[in-house]
Amino acid sequence: MRTKVIALLLLAAVAGSAAFLLLQSGGTEHPVARITRDGVLLEEIDLSRVDTPYSITLEDGSGTNTVLVEPGRVRVSEADCPDQICVNQGWIADGTVPIVCLPHRLILEIVGGGGNLDGGAG
Amino acid sequence: MKKRIFSAVFTLIMGMSLLAGCNTQPEKLEFTTFAMDTVMNITIYSEDQDGARGVSEALTSLLAGMDSMLSATREGSDISQINQSEGQPVEVTGWTMELLPQVLELCQATDGALDITAYPAVKAWGFTGEEHRVPPSNELAELAAKIDYTAVELGMNTVSVPAGMEIDLGAVAKGYAGDLLAYNVRDNNLSSALLDLGQSTIVAVGTKPDGSPWRIGVRDPEGEDYFAVVELEDMAMGTSGGYQRYFEEGGVTYWHILDPKTAAPARSGLSSVTVVSPSALTCDGLSTALFVMGLEDGTQFWRDHPELEFEAVFVTENGEIYRTAGLEGRFSLADGYQDREVTVLE
Repeated sequence: MRTKVIALLLLAAVAGSAAFLLLQSGGTEHPVARITRDGVLLEEIDLSRVDTPYSITLEDGSGTNTVLVEPGRVRVSEADCPDQICVNQGWIADGTVPIVCLPHRLILEIVGGGGNLDGGAG
Repeated sequence: MKKRIFSAVFTLIMGMSLLAGCNTQPEKLEFTTFAMDTVMNITIYSEDQDGARGVSEALTSLLAGMDSMLSATREGSDISQINQSEGQPVEVTGWTMELLPQVLELCQATDGALDITAYPAVKAWGFTGEEHRVPPSNELAELAAKIDYTAVELGMNTVSVPAGMEIDLGAVAKGYAGDLLAYNVRDNNLSSALLDLGQSTIVAVGTKPDGSPWRIGVRDPEGEDYFAVVELEDMAMGTSGGYQRYFEEGGVTYWHILDPKTAAPARSGLSSVTVVSPSALTCDGLSTALFVMGLEDGTQFWRDHPELEFEAVFVTENGEIYRTAGLEGRFSLADGYQDREVTVLE
């Protein structure tokens, strides 16, 4: 009887620690869009809490970028930079690659939320 | 009996503390830096976070140093001094002296499909930050006549370029930087890192901490998604595509990859080329050259140059996907693209 109780306790301990380890490596956080300029955080948006699309216009001495926010994804919809690379990139919905406006030193990236790629080329 | 139970409990406690010990897995250190007209994102896994931070600082200053010497747009760089020299030999730093012979070899191997002397044409189209414009045909003919990498002369530590000609290492500097960074990372006994030098050049050092290869998406030239996944382990990857930098005028799209023969955007029927090789410099230079060559000549080039140790993925303007045979087991179509046909080149 006592052996059984101890065996059950052991089993529970093993199951508990396994669950703890699994949860630790899991990472089921929400996708969050972060907008930074020169490394300074300008906006942080939890994309799982966005219900209706909206836009934000960011302006500094170098120019303006308009960021469109939709449930689960973001893009730069307009910018007055000469190369328009940030606008042409379109939407991002995971952290594989950021959107960068080099002339305005603006980075729009998504952290959290998973994604099964380590990087993106192109 | 008691003794057995005690030993079982003891074993379990020891086992759990071992598991906790295993939990000191390599930690991720990620940092971003602006260099070479792009944003670079470096990820390093290490158990020694202080050591990794030291390496990250060293890599950042290495990139800044290389950028200040290899950039054509920075005042005082080796390259801008060469371009302003009016044909006189210019003394250059070790980086330029190490990179130039390797690049000129690639220019020669590709029969000028890669040519570092196309800079005046790149400027004429406004792809260096000025206003975009379409140069008239007589201007293009004049520009094309002055594109000739064989005119670049290397001395012991000097470089000379004829007056009226200018060089630009934009097509290869990131690849060269990727190789140097990877060398530095390995030299510091770090065995797991991903060096993303602005998406067009990516270098994988080792594998991910769990031993699996790094999974890199390849962008669909026609959309925002990734059409394929390439797995990398101690391998570099470079992509050139017309969609990366372009402008539209009169309903025509003009992209930044110029054909050195015409000084105009390369129209070879391809919309992107991805090259996989142990050398990031090879990836960077060849992705541009193969884009200029087109599918047929590019495939023949791959067959003729096994010594360059590279594999390639071609996407045509019609959306057809081709890959070389050596990518077997490392290339797969991404979700949403599983029904696309892939032709294997042998």
